[in-house]
Amino acid sequence: MPDQTSNGMRCNEFDLLLADAIDGVLSGSELSRFQAHAGVCKACGPLLAEAEAGRGWLKGLTEVEPPANLVTAILASTTGVDTQRLRVNAHAAQPQVSWLERVQASISGYIEPVWAMVRQPRFAMSFGMAFFALSVGLTVAGVKPADLATISLRPAAIRLTYYRTQSRVVRYYENVRIVYEFESLARQVKRNVAPAEPGPATQKDHKNDTTQQPEQKQERNYSQTDNQLILAAAPVGPSVFDLSKTDPLNPDLPVVSVTTYRRFV
Amino acid sequence: MEDVQVVAMLVRRCIAGDAAAWEEIVQTYNRRIYNICYRFAGSSDDAQDLTQDVFIKMYRTLPSYDHTKGAFVTWVTTITRNLLVDHFRKTKQDRMTDSIDAASSEHEDAQPLSEQIQDQSAPPDAHVRSREVGDAVHAALGRLSPELREAVILRDLQDMDYREIAVVLKVPEGTVKSRINRGRGELARLLQRTYRQVM
Repeated sequence: MPDQTSNGMRCNEFDLLLADAIDGVLSGSELSRFQAHAGVCKACGPLLAEAEAGRGWLKGLTEVEPPANLVTAILASTTGVDTQRLRVNAHAAQPQVSWLERVQASISGYIEPVWAMVRQPRFAMSFGMAFFALSVGLTVAGVKPADLATISLRPAAIRLTYYRTQSRVVRYYENVRIVYEFESLARQVKRNVAPAEPGPATQKDHKNDTTQQPEQKQERNYSQTDNQLILAAAPVGPSVFDLSKTDPLNPDLPVVSVTTYRRFV
Repeated sequence: MEDVQVVAMLVRRCIAGDAAAWEEIVQTYNRRIYNICYRFAGSSDDAQDLTQDVFIKMYRTLPSYDHTKGAFVTWVTTITRNLLVDHFRKTKQDRMTDSIDAASSEHEDAQPLSEQIQDQSAPPDAHVRSREVGDAVHAALGRLSPELREAVILRDLQDMDYREIAVVLKVPEGTVKSRINRGRGELARLLQRTYRQVM
């Protein structure tokens, strides 16, 4: 606010007198100077009008009525005493309600907010989709509502149900056309990609052979045929149990014929 | 409003444990405190909670009241004002994050002022119109800064004199008058702007 002087009154002085002027306590020369300043000053004139208007608005406000149970609540929270008179007043103020209405009122406090939320289209749609997905899932799993009546909750029965359901799901999965088509395709790809069976061992390269080992023995072995009969013979002599009586330098051992079969592969 | 001796006697009985005396105090002042809280906080739920808090604090600090230092109503109003300031500080962050337009539907003042005024398109009867205007003024009051709001509430709604208001607000009388003037002017500007938009 500019601190200017009009008719001998400064604007800050006007501001100090403004409340008193609106209250009607100004009088005499002070009131005339105040009014003269308000009529001349472009800042203070509207200020007076606005302050008067604001006061008018506020004076138009009526007192609000406190809630009926406020006093009871205050007394309960301070002294914890609910006096007899207050109880009588509260009883007289409240109409008689049946127990059913009281139960409904108490339940509706919890249900109403949830119900209001559920009634919103987006939530209703979500619940609908969830129910649809659940019903499809149960149908695929083979769960029927009629089965629920005969359901057994014994651990063994639950385990059996679990295995049956698992096998049913596995069967269902493996019988899906696209699954076994993919499986067969995968097997085929695997077969094509896997390395071929190793062939017979190649012959030794004789040119690079530096061992200079005679090949005769090996050739002899390879020349052996299957199921070749080898005959081993020993001279016939005294019993082996009488070896102590025989001359160690000239043993006269009994001859035992032994026939062995040796298979060369 | 109060006879100092009568109130002093009432307070003494209260301190002595007379439940009836306390009930009389509650009956006498609950309406006034509730109205201050309602006009300052803006909602009836907050006002109810705050009123209870005021009486709880009064009940605990009643022995500290000295009738020689001031009127009981000034003491009560000071407690109320201090709790309101605390409440304002606590809820400041909530208000900053809240949208102005998004608020509870308990009161129509939750809507912007212009919407409230537009609602009176149909020619209402005098009572309805008066209530709607009252709601608009209440909403505009809530838009004032807390310093200006408490000053105009105590002066124009509770009819306290400047000296008592100065005691409650702990500021000089000149500051009280200045705040009242600015509060009234700001309120008038808010309401005039709203009505001009509607016209």
